[in-house]
Amino acid sequence: MAMRDLINGGATCAVPGSSSSNPIGALANVMFGTSNKAEELKGLPSTGVSVPESSPDFRPDIPLSAIPGSAFDTQQNRLRDARSNDFLRGFHSTDHVGFADAWDDVQRPPVLPPPHFAGSEPQFGEFERIYDAPPVQPTWDGPPQRVLSSVLHSFVDSGRSGVPFHPVALPMLGLSEGDKQCIRDRSCILARHIYGDKSEDYISAQVNTLLQSLDIDSSRMRGPMPGQFREMEEYWNESQGPLIRPPGMVNHADKWITEFNQQRNNDNPDAWAQSFEQQHGANGWASEFEQEQNQMALGQFRGAAAPNMAMMEQSRMLAHTLSQNSNPKFQNSQFLQFVSKMSRGELIIDDNQIKPANTDWADEYQAQHNGGPVSWADQFGQEQATRGWASEFAQEHQLEGSVDEKWVNEFSSKLNVNDWAEEFSNQVADTDNWADAYDQYLGDEMLASRQKPKSRGVYEFSALNPYVGHPNPLKEGQELFRKGLLSEAVLALEAEVMKNQDNAEAWRLLGITHAENDDDQQAIAAMMRAQEADPTNLEVLLALGVSHTNELEQTEALSYLYQWLKNHPKYGTLAPPQQPDTLFYNDVARLYTEAAQLSPEDADVHIVLGVLYNLSREYDKAIGAFKTALKLKPQDYSLWNKLGATQANSIQSADAIMAYQQALDLKPNYVRAWANMGISYANQGLYDESIRYYVRALAMNPKADNAWQYLRISLKCASRNDMFEACDSRNLDALQKEFPL
Amino acid sequence: MESTLKSAALLEQMKKHLETDAGKELKEKVGLVYQLNISPKKIGFNEEIFVVDLKEGKVSKGPYNGKPDATFSFTDDNFLSIAAGKMNPQIAFIRGAMKIKGSISAAQKFTPDIFPKPSKL
Repeated sequence: MAMRDLINGGATCAVPGSSSSNPIGALANVMFGTSNKAEELKGLPSTGVSVPESSPDFRPDIPLSAIPGSAFDTQQNRLRDARSNDFLRGFHSTDHVGFADAWDDVQRPPVLPPPHFAGSEPQFGEFERIYDAPPVQPTWDGPPQRVLSSVLHSFVDSGRSGVPFHPVALPMLGLSEGDKQCIRDRSCILARHIYGDKSEDYISAQVNTLLQSLDIDSSRMRGPMPGQFREMEEYWNESQGPLIRPPGMVNHADKWITEFNQQRNNDNPDAWAQSFEQQHGANGWASEFEQEQNQMALGQFRGAAAPNMAMMEQSRMLAHTLSQNSNPKFQNSQFLQFVSKMSRGELIIDDNQIKPANTDWADEYQAQHNGGPVSWADQFGQEQATRGWASEFAQEHQLEGSVDEKWVNEFSSKLNVNDWAEEFSNQVADTDNWADAYDQYLGDEMLASRQKPKSRGVYEFSALNPYVGHPNPLKEGQELFRKGLLSEAVLALEAEVMKNQDNAEAWRLLGITHAENDDDQQAIAAMMRAQEADPTNLEVLLALGVSHTNELEQTEALSYLYQWLKNHPKYGTLAPPQQPDTLFYNDVARLYTEAAQLSPEDADVHIVLGVLYNLSREYDKAIGAFKTALKLKPQDYSLWNKLGATQANSIQSADAIMAYQQALDLKPNYVRAWANMGISYANQGLYDESIRYYVRALAMNPKADNAWQYLRISLKCASRNDMFEACDSRNLDALQKEFPL
Repeated sequence: MESTLKSAALLEQMKKHLETDAGKELKEKVGLVYQLNISPKKIGFNEEIFVVDLKEGKVSKGPYNGKPDATFSFTDDNFLSIAAGKMNPQIAFIRGAMKIKGSISAAQKFTPDIFPKPSKL
């Protein structure tokens, strides 16, 4: 494919006069995209050919190049390189029957694009060139591509000459769905551009006529186009989908989604703007624009020239983001046009007013806005920039009273809107950006749904486990655990249970390791597998009781602790022979006290009692029980941790720290104890200290999600906002350097 | 406080926390009265009402005798997520996971750092 190299090579230098990025490359793609497509090109005369490049590559800056006929038209205008001419001659000589004819017919002399269009946005660059090419006789016969290009050209020309476009009967063009959508959307945009000075009705009529001719059903939308604004669409699709909606999240998201979908099917571009005004709860625009406003507002304070530039920059970015969405609603919107204008500097904010830098556009814009409900821009211009969009929005709605279930209703009438707006905009600027925060929220929702008791017990294996395939991972796991390398031990043990699903000991140890690593979720999951493998194992039952207690799940915890008693060889008889339907805490506690009296030397009973008292928040009794147990088993590090945690939860933080220290002396890599230390310092208000402990815990187990959240809170309280980014990006190196122990 | 909610544990801890020095600082830093309507599964159903009085430094059960500066409604799990810093209160509000009544500036001060964190056994 020497030709392709030629083209690609030639395309690296900018073709003079062209503002599109890679016209020749695009041409090459069109021509030689795939061998399939080359076949299609050969088969031109038959009507079964579909227009190539119908892939979802709706790049706005090369719209009609997808259709070979017009591609040649437009490309021709820009080809001035010797090499490109060679290419064309070469192409000319190949035996593409129909194409050669088409080429001849639609050839026209190269036209220099008018200089004042050089500055226009790339997406309209193509249109400019078509616009200025001399008209060609419309032919309604011949190869589909040629026909299509002719139709489109005459549509354009009719706009230029002011003659309304007439519907024509055309032979079957064999356009695929994707092509139809593409053509429909592009023609909408094109029409808006060409008929800028005409009324909306006229534009719609023209577009519909065109579409009818091409046999495209303009009202049928096959659903959201796979635009480049995937993130937003994905988020909303997910939220509409099978994702379990949290109980609290009821109407806001629903209404916005259904409204938005309705608007997609609505052909009237104004409706979008209207519905946007009526929108509530949907804050993507709000916060994003809020941030824009903030920056614009800040720019105001810094002087005259700077804010305009900054504002233009911001608006440009916003416009760019918006235009990425190939949904015609966005592209057609007045709002987008307005923002685009701002970004191009045609409108500037000066003295808190919107002033046009170029009167033509402004007049046209004003004219279009007369009497419409889209008085957005007017109000916006008149509002003080410092107030921000949010306050304006809230105010607008308070005045209009047109909202039924909105934020504003929930606030009392004494609400001071300015206050709220300022604080809100500060907070929004302060906190994560909408998309990130929603991301996080979704992630948390996923986590939350996993935490429900029903779906509990689903253990999550780590990816990329280096221990898989080792001969005896259980042994390795035990060794690693002994050495205190908890995260490594997890991997080894996972390898073991992957090999050997019923290895109760492996599951048990895995559960304990996770608990010590401060991950109760995984601990529970592993322990439940252990219990399946070995239902009477007392350690497993105790561990399950402890983890559920940590998760504040009373009933489950109680059930496991009861089972511990029942399965115990010595105390099993204490329990009543038949299993009671509902376990009452008091009954269970009573049983355990009996057991304790039965054999006071049994540390385990006291441990369980301690856990039970934690459940009922009788912390003093719990502390007593644990201390008794510790007298019998002073080397049990986890017991020291339990004591410390109990003390901490009853706000005896100083004692707690001492207990944790004991635990850590016995087991230096005890992640849970490190994290608990951090908590105890934080609860006392000693945030700087707490940060260090959290970082230490996280260094040993970067997956301890709780600790990350707590770290962030401590950073905030210690006014170390500079380290927020390190925290959010989980950059342990930076954090460890900054906060050593 | 008798309650089946998980949040009850946190609120009891809060009660004791307010008697410590750190807790007393909260009175100066915040100094507002919050009422929390916490439901087990769905907002508005089987609510249990707690009052976190950061003016006096007390936590009590039952509606506030007077007008709280802000009233929040959420589910058990969501309240715990917010208090632990897992969920951003603004995002919770925007998503409808948390409803607010009363002064918004008061509501803005309802952040995770006013709550003590539970330790793990």
